[in-house]
Amino acid sequence: MPERLRTIVFAGLLVAMAAVLVMLMATNETEADRVESIGGRIKCPVCQGEPIANSPAQLARDMMELVRQRVAEGQTDVAIVDELLASYSGAVLLDPPASGWTLVLWIAPVLALGAGVAVIVWWKQHPDRGTGPSPMLEMSRARRLAPLLILASAFAAIVVVAGFFLQERSGPNSGVADITDQNLEDVSNETMEAVIAVNTDHPQVDGMRLALAERYYQENDFSSAFPHYFAVVESPNANASQVVTALTRLGWMAWQGNGEAATAIDLFDQAIDIDQDSTMARYLKAQVLWCGPGNTEEASALLEDVLAEPEVDDDVRRFVTADLESIRSGETCA
Amino acid sequence: MTSGLRWVGYGVALAAVAFAVVLASRFGTDPGLVESPLLGQPAPEFELAPLEGGDPVSLTDLRGDIVVVNFFASWCLQCRNEHAALTSTADAFADQEVTFVQIGYQESPPESLDYLETAGRSEAAWYLADPGSRTAIAYGVFGIPETFFIDESGTVVGKIIGESDAFTLGATIDAIAAGEVPGQSVTGDTQQRPDE
Repeated sequence: MPERLRTIVFAGLLVAMAAVLVMLMATNETEADRVESIGGRIKCPVCQGEPIANSPAQLARDMMELVRQRVAEGQTDVAIVDELLASYSGAVLLDPPASGWTLVLWIAPVLALGAGVAVIVWWKQHPDRGTGPSPMLEMSRARRLAPLLILASAFAAIVVVAGFFLQERSGPNSGVADITDQNLEDVSNETMEAVIAVNTDHPQVDGMRLALAERYYQENDFSSAFPHYFAVVESPNANASQVVTALTRLGWMAWQGNGEAATAIDLFDQAIDIDQDSTMARYLKAQVLWCGPGNTEEASALLEDVLAEPEVDDDVRRFVTADLESIRSGETCA
Repeated sequence: MTSGLRWVGYGVALAAVAFAVVLASRFGTDPGLVESPLLGQPAPEFELAPLEGGDPVSLTDLRGDIVVVNFFASWCLQCRNEHAALTSTADAFADQEVTFVQIGYQESPPESLDYLETAGRSEAAWYLADPGSRTAIAYGVFGIPETFFIDESGTVVGKIIGESDAFTLGATIDAIAAGEVPGQSVTGDTQQRPDE
């Protein structure tokens, strides 16, 4: 047998033996081996670079149990790893994925090796390498090119770091509404209710209570508005303006909702005691006095007081004037 | 040194710098803060029994509602801090098509029940057990508290890592109801079991 043929046959035998060995190893792999193998590739999410196969953490043990069950169910290694990746992303792979930024980790050694080989090959193919320019000339060129190299390196660093931060910005800390950016108009009644429920003693909760109560009031949902107005009146942190508004609304709801004139007038009086210039409290009290007990004299006096205020809004002035004229002309409350 | 060799050297040096910067930039990054791959994906199904036992609750049964899934435990301080907010928000949205599901994480149902006995619970929320952390793993939980928001079609549209407050929870639900996708937010630290 010629020398060349013998070599080919020998090489073929080697390859065949290796293939058989690999097949034997593969078929002899037990389920436990597979579990260990997969567990050795998955990083424990709550550990520092430790595979779930070796970690004592409860989460790692639970993940190993999941892997064990999936292997017993006959799932492939790829399917099992994919299931975990679907939940945790590549962050749980001990070997970084060959994509995105971590691709550099895979490419860099290959590039470095390639560059090294290229240098050696070039070196061997240029036996006259020793006859180049003088070392002094080389030094001079190197000095000229040094700033260029530094600039290029800095540019590369900036690109990489900028890319990193841009990537982070699109990940965590994006999306969910920030409380400080919220316009109260965009917030639902339910959200305000939830916030108020857990902040009943917060010094600034009365503003939100009043805003929510006003919403209910505008919707004629007096039963929902009542507890919030009442809480504002009772709150030690509410300011005078908030209490006057709440008392006035409570008074009007007592009259409109239940026809309780005496209660309403009492609440208006409490508001006026706090703020004698309260236009709304005086106007509404006059309405109830006129429409309830029919006390037109006191009602007229109150309305005249309101009109005497130079800063009364034009619309309010128009309503008050119309009511006053109606009372004076003996009309009944509409 | 000749020109060709010199440029190869520059190239290698440049690659080394870039490589070092990449490594340095990732150093110290908390892997738990990576964006959840579940965002924009169908929420992992679950069928879990209530802590007290009884008929299991499945996510499929809740389809059509906005579902808020929160992982909690009695040993988690941040969970204790946010519990009142979860309860009040669940109560506030009880009449809306919003369902709160709180899942006990890495503790026995009696331990979770003892905790809820003192912390309080909403009549409008489900409190479920997760034996073997299967649902927690399916949701990619790193530490707790973690809260996931699932829209009416069953898609994961939001995630809060860390302690929530009522405003954040409510505003997130409002946003989802308005068709927005809140995404992921990190509001604070999460916690592992103390014995780990």
